[in-house]
Amino acid sequence: MTSLGAQLNSGSYLCFLLWTLLLVALLPDGRQWLLLVIVVAFGWLSGRAVFQVLASRRFWLFILSILAMSPFVLGEADIRWGMLRLSWTGLETGLWMAVRAATLMLAFSVSLGALSVAQMVRLFDRLRLRGLGFALGVALNLGPVLRDVVEAAYHTLRLRGGFRRPARNARLFLITVIANGLRYGDDVVKAALARAFDPAAKLPQTSRFLGQADKAFIVGLAAVGVGLLL
Amino acid sequence: MKFSTFTVRDWVYVAVFGALWGALEMTLGAYLHVLFPPIANTFFTGLIMAGIGVAIALVGRYFVPRPGAVLSIGIITTLLKVLSLGGMKIGPVVAILAEAILMELAFLSKTPPTRWRYVLAGTLAVGWNFFHKFVMMRLLYGKGITEVYLKMVKDGSQALGLDIGYAVAIIGVLFLFRVAVGAAAGWLAWRLGRLVARRIA
Repeated sequence: MTSLGAQLNSGSYLCFLLWTLLLVALLPDGRQWLLLVIVVAFGWLSGRAVFQVLASRRFWLFILSILAMSPFVLGEADIRWGMLRLSWTGLETGLWMAVRAATLMLAFSVSLGALSVAQMVRLFDRLRLRGLGFALGVALNLGPVLRDVVEAAYHTLRLRGGFRRPARNARLFLITVIANGLRYGDDVVKAALARAFDPAAKLPQTSRFLGQADKAFIVGLAAVGVGLLL
Repeated sequence: MKFSTFTVRDWVYVAVFGALWGALEMTLGAYLHVLFPPIANTFFTGLIMAGIGVAIALVGRYFVPRPGAVLSIGIITTLLKVLSLGGMKIGPVVAILAEAILMELAFLSKTPPTRWRYVLAGTLAVGWNFFHKFVMMRLLYGKGITEVYLKMVKDGSQALGLDIGYAVAIIGVLFLFRVAVGAAAGWLAWRLGRLVARRIA
């Protein structure tokens, strides 16, 4: 069986994300679980990203923490033991909060998880924002450089007794980090110019943003959305 | 807003400031979000992250003085946050994008930006922190405006030591506090931009 993900382009995933955000905001509590089922089903049909999220400890910790805390902090108290309070309304509210949170987390993972960095850069190219794609690539590779810059600035200031005048040295720290980041940026500019990179150049389009299958998918989403709301 | 007028240097500087803001979100932001659980009062987390992030983005605007620069920095930061190991967190993503859009609005005028425009941009962006709670509570937790307002008044009365009857004053103080932080961030960004420009000249 060909997975749904293989037939859809990036436009469908972005539309799906917007559709989910809209419905999470508009649907009444009682119908939120239907949306969750749809998101899980779409995630299952389009790849394996949804299972990775469902298998992660962080996801369940977040969801269960909402459920665990809600009777203590939300709603009017039904039972009180000194400082401790419990509310059934709070637990019910927490349950729906957890469903909404799970829906949103899964929708984001399914839609954005389907796009690799290379696909995101291609998506920007497709949207005639080649420079933004280039900036994303540069920013992703800047992490280790910035860490080195921050460490060097911190240790230099510390060894020169920077902690004795924290305000002045916080300013010096920021100036050093930003100035060194920009200096590294100048090297990147030289390298890009040496390769004749032009952010405004038009590239031949190799990938589609929306195809026939995507259009059908979006119409289907709209119909399901209206159905859920009515 | 014409991105085609951006030079390679502009895009690289957008990347540098986006990476700086993103690194801050992934380190300090993640740390603060662990310290303050999702449904506890996140007043300080949001305010600290918004204040520092807005200052960084506005310093970036100083070095890329083109319409769309702050929005681009915000988009890069958002994508870094989304792609980070910490995973997808909806609240910060919405906040970063909203702050970037609001800062961009402050630079819509064609006159050259001044210190006061930076202060306005900072104020608008950090001011979002006040409304963010209403939007996110509706989106994530399905709560109405009234419930969020009541909780904000209750939390605010405890934090400020004011009687709950002074609801309007409490809300006003909470909003003005954000405005003050935003204005300070804008002021600092202008000053920091000039100092960094002098250093690298």
